[in-house]
Amino acid sequence: MTAPAPEELMAIHLSREVRDGEISACGALSMIPAAGLLLAKHTHAPQADILILGSPAFFPFRTSRQFHYLAQRGDLGLFFVSGVQIDQQGNYNLHLLGQDHDHPDVRFPGGYGGGLIYYAARRTVVFRTEHSPRVFVEHVDFISAAGVTPPHMLRLGGPSKVVTPLATLAMDREAGVLKLESVHPPHTTEAVVAATGFDLGVTGAAPQTAPPTAEELRVLRAVVRPLMMETGTYPDWAAQHLAAAG
Amino acid sequence: MGVPYVPFVGLVGSDLLKRRDDMMICPDPFDPSIESVVVRAMRPDVALLHGLRADKAGNVDLGVVTDDVLLAEAAHRVVVTVEEVVDALTEAEAQGTFLPKVLVNVLAHAPYGAHPGGMPGRYTVDAEHMRRYVAHSKDDEAFAAYLQETVHGVADHQAYLKKVVYRDRPESDPDATPTMQSQRQSAS
Repeated sequence: MTAPAPEELMAIHLSREVRDGEISACGALSMIPAAGLLLAKHTHAPQADILILGSPAFFPFRTSRQFHYLAQRGDLGLFFVSGVQIDQQGNYNLHLLGQDHDHPDVRFPGGYGGGLIYYAARRTVVFRTEHSPRVFVEHVDFISAAGVTPPHMLRLGGPSKVVTPLATLAMDREAGVLKLESVHPPHTTEAVVAATGFDLGVTGAAPQTAPPTAEELRVLRAVVRPLMMETGTYPDWAAQHLAAAG
Repeated sequence: MGVPYVPFVGLVGSDLLKRRDDMMICPDPFDPSIESVVVRAMRPDVALLHGLRADKAGNVDLGVVTDDVLLAEAAHRVVVTVEEVVDALTEAEAQGTFLPKVLVNVLAHAPYGAHPGGMPGRYTVDAEHMRRYVAHSKDDEAFAAYLQETVHGVADHQAYLKKVVYRDRPESDPDATPTMQSQRQSAS
């Protein structure tokens, strides 16, 4: 079996955040989380409900309105979101780059429903395919959704983890900051610290992330890949980025 | 929904709140120790919708199940274009979300009215046109040329169909004529 590609590795790491029996979901343009959700369903979380927005086979609602009501009710256990910038407080930015919000250097499409689901889903895992100082900044240029809110504000959940090609960060809810949880082999703690524009609370070498098991990689390639291709769940992406079994 | 404002879970601490005067943080009237964001209802002057078919009275089948009905419910006036006009249409016959005529003020027959977007069941997104649109969006001069070709340089929808749509769509009907089918004054 060939070594996992970066997308496969991230899908495996995301799948481990899914809990059996919960409702877990991903939104638009979320190919890697979609693969991770289906991998979890076919490994450790057979009783999980998996919602993949835009997939005819894995989205039980006719419109997104019902999905948002589900989240607002507090029934959504896990959601995946991404951001152009992410900062130490778990704020993410999907709107713009630049300090002058009236004249941004770059304008992005914005958040759509993420600004609600980040507060309503019990846990949100932020995924980002680039781990660099321009992504992981001291303060995001624009807070699309905040990682932490005062205790008297209505909030059902918040950021849980951040997963990148280098490492997994975990939200310390008490301190209200992201901290390094584990480093994905073969990367080093030093490399993760150097690639991050804020203090990760590192005091020594961080634990290593458990490497993908042969079973995780087998199911991803032999079950999830054909499932995505057959059900119209990012079929082109699955064909290109997940290796065929064999 | 027709209600004046709605509370929701989300957006506390977002920079969006600094830029929006229709959202603010308020105490829950039932439990003032908890606060959340409330958003004022939007009341657009006009909503523009495109659907699959309609009858001459103004009953519309949007063709797909869609939250677009919320726009029709919120707006003071609702203008709908459709692919096809039929004699009569009931809710039970609708393939998608049904807009009863009481929600519709103006109806127009406009085949390919979603172009260059797609109309589920009729035609897909015009990918070639979208590529041209994106290429022309690189700078103001190129975009002005795009607008001249597809918007300012065509007299009406029929001219747009002939110049832009039918050119790339040999299967489409060159004799389709968009005509205003009904117009009803808004009650408000």
